[in-house]
Formats: sequence, structure tokens, C-alpha cells
Amino acid sequence: MLELRNISKSFGETIAVDGVSLTVARGEMVGVIGRSGSGKSTLLRLINRLAEPTSGEVLWDGEGVSRLKRRDLRKWRRRCAMIFQQFNLSPRLDVITNVLIGVVAERPLAMTLMKFFPASDRADAIRELDALDMGQTAFQRAGTLSGGQQQRVAIARAMMQKPDMILADEPVASLDPGNAEVVMKALQAAAGARGIPVLVSLHSLDLARRYCTRIVAMSKGRIIFDGSPSELSAEIVDRIYSAGANRNPAVHLAEVGAAA
Amino acid sequence: MMNQDATPLPSPLPGLALRGLLTLGGIAALIAMMVDLGISPVALAGGFTKLGVFLLAMFPPSDGGDLPRILKSLLETLAMALAGTTLAVLVAAPLGFLGARTVVGQPAFHFLFRRMLDFFRGVPVLVWALIFVAAFGLGPFGGVIALAVADIPSLSKLFAEAIENCDRGPVEGTRAAGGSRLHEIRFALAPQVAPILASQSLYYLESNFRNAAVLGIVGAGGIGFELEERIRIFAFDEVAFIVLLYMVAVALLDSLSRRLRSALA
Repeated sequence: MLELRNISKSFGETIAVDGVSLTVARGEMVGVIGRSGSGKSTLLRLINRLAEPTSGEVLWDGEGVSRLKRRDLRKWRRRCAMIFQQFNLSPRLDVITNVLIGVVAERPLAMTLMKFFPASDRADAIRELDALDMGQTAFQRAGTLSGGQQQRVAIARAMMQKPDMILADEPVASLDPGNAEVVMKALQAAAGARGIPVLVSLHSLDLARRYCTRIVAMSKGRIIFDGSPSELSAEIVDRIYSAGANRNPAVHLAEVGAAA
Repeated sequence: MMNQDATPLPSPLPGLALRGLLTLGGIAALIAMMVDLGISPVALAGGFTKLGVFLLAMFPPSDGGDLPRILKSLLETLAMALAGTTLAVLVAAPLGFLGARTVVGQPAFHFLFRRMLDFFRGVPVLVWALIFVAAFGLGPFGGVIALAVADIPSLSKLFAEAIENCDRGPVEGTRAAGGSRLHEIRFALAPQVAPILASQSLYYLESNFRNAAVLGIVGAGGIGFELEERIRIFAFDEVAFIVLLYMVAVALLDSLSRRLRSALA
């Protein structure tokens, strides 16, 4: 079980996440919604420590992860697989190598740096790709695939990590509606098959309602709604997206800056 | 009046006088320098007359019956350029990663490292050649080391800049999957910069093949040595032959390398 305890993150003067507490249990698919700059991205990045919290704690099964260093930190990141809006694959590497990056935290360094992966890993990678109907692209360069295909490769890489949870940061924001459905279904199926929780930030309220079992809405870095999709009334939606619900557009810039 | 509060325009006269003085001073300085350097119309005419004689002596070009040796020296020059460039790339590639702000995030280290590269970049290849020929003796070995050492600073800087301009997405993807700094380099940065590195290295190979002739003149072997020998004994027909042969070889290497580079792009 994932638990966030009163976690905050500021970038200089701007507060991106402001004292958020949240628990996520196995099997949940949590949609994080809110306007740009409301702190969704930063919240996800605080969990796998791509961003370090200013204060507060992240716990997994009651154990804090803020003090993990080096190899332990890498293993923690391996356990919370992340999916990105821009896929973040290595475009000039073939698809199977991109998927195999999912195991580097657990294999000897020298071996992985020579791109040597045991046959069992390679077989696993092909199996993950096949599960997403991407097996036939295994030896193609990732950069030659369409956006929807690249995101499915990214999901295969995430699954290769044998994760305990999935963090998906706007996974379909740069895809067309058809591909967005394919990727959301793939994400749902992959997580469902393992019973692991998913935290997914989404722009589309419609996708959040249809795919998520729970919706968390953020505004100005705080959670202003946490409940089932059916509890999300028009009045609440209005509050989430109304003008001025945004603390500061600079937060969005700070998030982008943190990514760079 | 409408513009009575406006700043009055300065009179153009003092400016004009100043400019006239500067121009006159400049001309005087130029003449003084020419006198000091011994640039006289007489010396100029004498030099051009000699050049004309040399030019006439170049026709018809002749191999002097030494074609196999000339070809061997040309190959030696190519080998020097290849070895020097390869050595430079092997050293510059890791230095490029060290020098990239996005890989080693210590501002102080980055500053010192870049300044050090700039410092060594200021030393011309000919100076390196003189030093290494003195150290390793006459012959291609000193030349190869000179080419490599002269290229390392600028190649490292180019590599570092290519690495800094990489897309950060794959780096973040690798990090989020549990990759270490070395994995980020191996799986995210290296594949992105490899074609750029290869293209820049080929460009340096071209330029080194051209530079390697000059190195021969200071004693580092190769085609430059053959040239130097013949210039000294005024065998200008053979000089002309070697220069023409060399020009063809340079053009061939350039076009080959250009084709390779466009294939990499």
C-alpha cells in the first residue's frame, strides 16, 4: 500500500504540491485530475523521487522511501514504474532493448552496460511486448514507431520492471483519441493482471471517469476532491476547472523545468 | 518653438576633425609598420619574380622516377591522420561526457574543465608537432601524437556540447526505470550522440589528412617530408607532381567522408 503523508514541494517561491496526504491500495486505478499547474505531475514525481519533496513522506507498506540512496533508490524506482507523456524511450535503440531497460536495476552493472541480457530476460521482454500486441516490432528502432505504439512499448518496459505500482503522467495527452483508448485499455489490463495500483494523471475528465475506480482532483497543489467517479458532481467539476483554480502558471513551468 | 526643450545637437565640426586626425594617424602607423617589416616595392617585385621562376620550373610536373616512394609516403600520411584522429576520438569521447553539464552537474568542475580545454585548444598543432618530434624523434609517431593531442580539446568540447543538446526524455525514462548514471549514458545519451560524434570525427579526419602534410615538413614523416626534401633542392617539377597528387587524394577522402557523414545524418 502506498501512503503519502503531508507531502509538499516548492520550486523557489512557488508551491507545486501543498501538504498532500493520500493512500492508494492494491487494485485501485486512481485518476489524478486538475488544471495544468495544479501539481499533478509533481505529485507523481515525488513518489518515485524524480523530484525530492520539500517536506512530508512517502511510505510503502509503512516504510519510508525518502532516505533510500543509490542502488536502493534505483530499486525503489524499478518498483514504481513510470509512464510519460512523451514516452521517453530511446528512439535510436531497438524496441526490445528499450523494454530490457526495465531490468537494469536488478542485473550486474557491467553486463547491462554491454547490453548483455540473459535469454530469460529477452524472452520476458518479448512476452511483455506480445501482451500489448507489439511483439512484431521488437527489432525495429523505437523512433520509427507511431506515438500510440511507442506508448505501448513504454508500458512493456514498465511491466518488465515487475512493478508494485504504476505512475502514469499524462500517458495519452499526446495521442489521438483512438490511440488514447488503446493505451488506456492496455494500462488497465496490464495493471489488472497483476493487481497493482495505478496513479494516472489525465487531462480528459471523460477518460478518468471511464477507466478509473477513484478520482483525485487537485487545485493549487491541494487535493480538493477524492472519491468515486459517480460522486464527481458537475458542481465539483466546475470548481476544479474554474478560472482561478490555478495557483500560479509558474508551477507548470517549474514542473516542466524539473523535467528538463 | 516646439523643440526648445530638446537636447541641442552637437556641432558636427569637432567630430569631423577627430575623424580626419584618426585616419591620418592610421595611415602613418601603417607606413611605419611596412618600413619596420621591410615591406618595400623592391622586395615585393623581387619575390614575385622568383615565384614566377619557381612556377615555370613546375612544368611539366614529374614524379622524378620515385613514384612508389611518393605513394608510400602519401599512404603514411593517411595512416598518420587515421591513427591521430582515432586516438583523439578515443580520449575525447569520455572527456566529452565529463565536460557535459547535464552529465556532471558540478558547476565548479564544469567551469574548470572547460577552461582547461580552452587553454590546450590555444596551442597550434605545429607547436605540438615540434614538441613531440623533439621528444619521440623524427618520424610519424610524433606526428600521430601531435595530431591526437591537438584535436582532443576541441573534439571534447564539441562532444560535450552535443551531449548537452540531447533530448532529456530518454534520460528520464531510463532513470525512472531504475537505471544508474552509467545506464543513462549507455542507453539514453550514447545512442543519441553516436551519429554526431561519428560525423564530427570524420570531419576531423579530413582536416588531419590536410594538416599531416605540414607535420611532415617539421620532421614527422609522410608526404610533407618528401615535399620538404624537394623544395630544399629546388626540384619544383617533383614538388608540383606531389602537390597535385596530394590534392587529388584530399579531394577523394573529403568526398568519401562527406558521403559517409550524410549517410549518418
